[in-house]
Amino acid sequence: MTRNPGFISLMPARGTLSVFEIALLVLCVVLVVAPIPQNLQDIIVLTFLWAGLATAWNIAGGYTGLISFGHAAFFGIGAYASTILLVRIGVTPWIGIWCGGLLAALFGAVLALICARLRGPFFILSTLAAAEVIRIAALNWPSLTGGPEGLAISPSADSTNMVFASKQAYLVLMLGYLVLSYGVTKLIDGSRFSYFLFATRDDEDAASAAGLNPLAIRTVALMLSAALSGIGGSLFAQYFLYLDPTSVISPEVSFQFALLPAVGGLGTAIGPVLGSFLITPMSELLRSYLGSKVAGLHLAIYSALLIVVVLYFPSGIAGALSRLSRRREGKP
Amino acid sequence: MTTLGQLILSGIFIGGIYALMSIGLTLIFGVLRIVNFAHGEFLMLGMYGAWAMTRGLGLDPYVAIIAVVPAMFLFGGLVYRLIVSPALDKPHLVVVFATMGLSILMQNIALMLMSADLFDIPPVFGHAVTVGPFYFKAELVLGFVITAVCTLVLQWALKSTYLGKAIRATVQDREAAMLMGIPVPRIFLITFAGGSALVGLAACVMMPLFSVFPTVGLNFVLIAFVIVVLGGMGSIEGALIGGICVGVVQSLSSYYVAPAFGQMFFFILFLLVMIFRPNGLLGQKGAADIGIID
Amino acid sequence: MTALVQVENLGRAFDALWAVDNVSFSVERGELLGLIGPNGAGKSTLYNLLAGALTPTRGEIVFDGRRVTGWKSYQMARVGMARTFQIPKPYRRLSVVENVMLTAFQRHKSVRSARTFAEHILADVGLSDHATAPVTTLTVGLLKRLEVARALALEPKLVLFDEIMAGLTPTEVAAMTSFVSELPARGITVIWVEHVLHAIMRTATRVMVLSRGQLIANAAPKVVARDPAVIKAYFGEEMSLA
Repeated sequence: MTRNPGFISLMPARGTLSVFEIALLVLCVVLVVAPIPQNLQDIIVLTFLWAGLATAWNIAGGYTGLISFGHAAFFGIGAYASTILLVRIGVTPWIGIWCGGLLAALFGAVLALICARLRGPFFILSTLAAAEVIRIAALNWPSLTGGPEGLAISPSADSTNMVFASKQAYLVLMLGYLVLSYGVTKLIDGSRFSYFLFATRDDEDAASAAGLNPLAIRTVALMLSAALSGIGGSLFAQYFLYLDPTSVISPEVSFQFALLPAVGGLGTAIGPVLGSFLITPMSELLRSYLGSKVAGLHLAIYSALLIVVVLYFPSGIAGALSRLSRRREGKP
Repeated sequence: MTTLGQLILSGIFIGGIYALMSIGLTLIFGVLRIVNFAHGEFLMLGMYGAWAMTRGLGLDPYVAIIAVVPAMFLFGGLVYRLIVSPALDKPHLVVVFATMGLSILMQNIALMLMSADLFDIPPVFGHAVTVGPFYFKAELVLGFVITAVCTLVLQWALKSTYLGKAIRATVQDREAAMLMGIPVPRIFLITFAGGSALVGLAACVMMPLFSVFPTVGLNFVLIAFVIVVLGGMGSIEGALIGGICVGVVQSLSSYYVAPAFGQMFFFILFLLVMIFRPNGLLGQKGAADIGIID
Repeated sequence: MTALVQVENLGRAFDALWAVDNVSFSVERGELLGLIGPNGAGKSTLYNLLAGALTPTRGEIVFDGRRVTGWKSYQMARVGMARTFQIPKPYRRLSVVENVMLTAFQRHKSVRSARTFAEHILADVGLSDHATAPVTTLTVGLLKRLEVARALALEPKLVLFDEIMAGLTPTEVAAMTSFVSELPARGITVIWVEHVLHAIMRTATRVMVLSRGQLIANAAPKVVARDPAVIKAYFGEEMSLA
């Protein structure tokens, strides 16, 4: 399919990279190496991280139709797994992040099986409930997770422990994560698996009649999404150096997971990235200017934004850009 | 033995009140076939309203019903017009995201306006109601009585009034109802606004018993969803039975199980219901339309 | 050679009602078998039992030498039994050709080969002009053709058609009838549930009649058309005596 090589294709692009994507990657590399003030670098680190997380969510949410408002559970499991391994046993995070991802994937499989017969709102509610179960478990298991006081990672710079003195190292780390998450999505895009996901999302009965096992597909999608979210969680722990259940496994974090792809464009690879590039910097800037002064204002703004986007721009930024490019090329 | 009896009876009473909170949700499910993820926040809004009437005007929360219920009706109508109605002809996840967004919006506006502090009102009746060896808060018993009366009135209205029959027809078969000349969009509006009004009623009844804070909705919405699923979508009797079951289970578990795990226990209960009894205790088939595969 | 499909004492109850009651029949390779009966006879239930969408309460189904009783629909699809949906269920956010590719993936592993094969199938049913269009632009008649295309993309041994004529214009009915009648010659056995009787009566090699869950006739179309029990089932006592 050689439609729209210059802009975003909404349909699977068969593993090809569009000029737009390459340009975006170049921009990211520039942001990494350019001499930018530290506080802005903080924002870029988080933007890259959330772009990766949103992309991970999208595999289950946008591609497979498994809308989850409980992804903080996977994020938290990853974060806690690698941190516990580091802080209590001394395992390096370079290994720990993969353990975190694996554990999150297992939890994803369990969730997919539990919710095998649930669709739509019931699935969503179950993800909410599952996230709360994880949060409360973390809160009440101090011997493992440090309970409400949380866990702290020693801030002394030590690259074997994935703690860096320079922000730039973190920029590279997070960009690497974004590339990983995005790369997995593009691989799916280029394969028949993407069709399986879309079919399961659009009409499960028809997909079943076509020889697809919906439960298996949902499980794989959720496991993949969970694993990547877990890895992102581990990386977050290494950056922030402190974890506690209420901030890490919170409904706000879960909301962010779903908000970014919704705004950027569900079901496209680039959508979640665009969503993060728009919202994360705004979020951080709002938080630093208003933050403690008017608690809740930034979330109020996002939720209002989400309502407007979802009612009037259902295909998000990616959809809007795609329509623009089609109009430019004179297509209907 | 008396403790057990006490727990069960107070469980029944609180369960009835939980049912009142859930009737709006189950009607909206049944008629519009959507989930209002902001249901808990509607309750929160009603509770703040009751609190304001009580603390600000010195009214009794039961008297505040006169103001809160119509206000919630109007609010529900407004939300329907602005958010729900435009979402109805779009893919299902639009209404999911829209009501989810509304939920978070309302929580944070409450946070900005009212702060995160817990608010409550002084007890309305100074004493408890004693029945034999059992004693209950008067507010609890009154709340249950209001629920019972309300349920009876609703049942009567659904069976005997034209509006009630129109609503039941829409629940059974939306297209047939339209063909019969029933103004389905108006039924949607009335059901959504009416459901919101019922939540307002529940809020006034619950204010003497619970504190209100911006995220109070989260605690109750899951209870409401369990009740609706257990009782079957669109069924008012079901909501009452489901509510009583939930109330009793919660009452017993909060006594016999460690309080820290009480909340988690409830979420696990929710997941168990989803796995094993998604069609409700009475086996209602409506669930399949919305999102449960048999 | 054993029959392609062997059904023995098949039954499905919903609470106390036996929608399909003790039905037994077999289907040979290359047959075009019609399944008719008045409304509520249990045709859909029998259809869904064969397709794996419902599990039998009683009885056995053997397909291509395998016991497939209780198998799910995706398992049936994988061993070569395709089905259509009475109310078309396309993948709404995919294009026409992509809808067919989904099924094609069972036999054609790469995206490219699946696409080529799907385009071939589309040409077969006459949907080539709409290949890249979104499915939401198709009329009912075209959607039904898409259902057929999706089923055929499985390269099935047996295809189950569920009232594919409903809602079609007479021209479309004629075209579809002649298309279906050619399938057995291509090695595809057909079981066809249909209300549009003249289409079936003219093309089927054999017709089964269901009434109230039970098989009341199982013979050549001409024989079935004159069977008093069949006439009674459709029109009532008086007509059968006339």
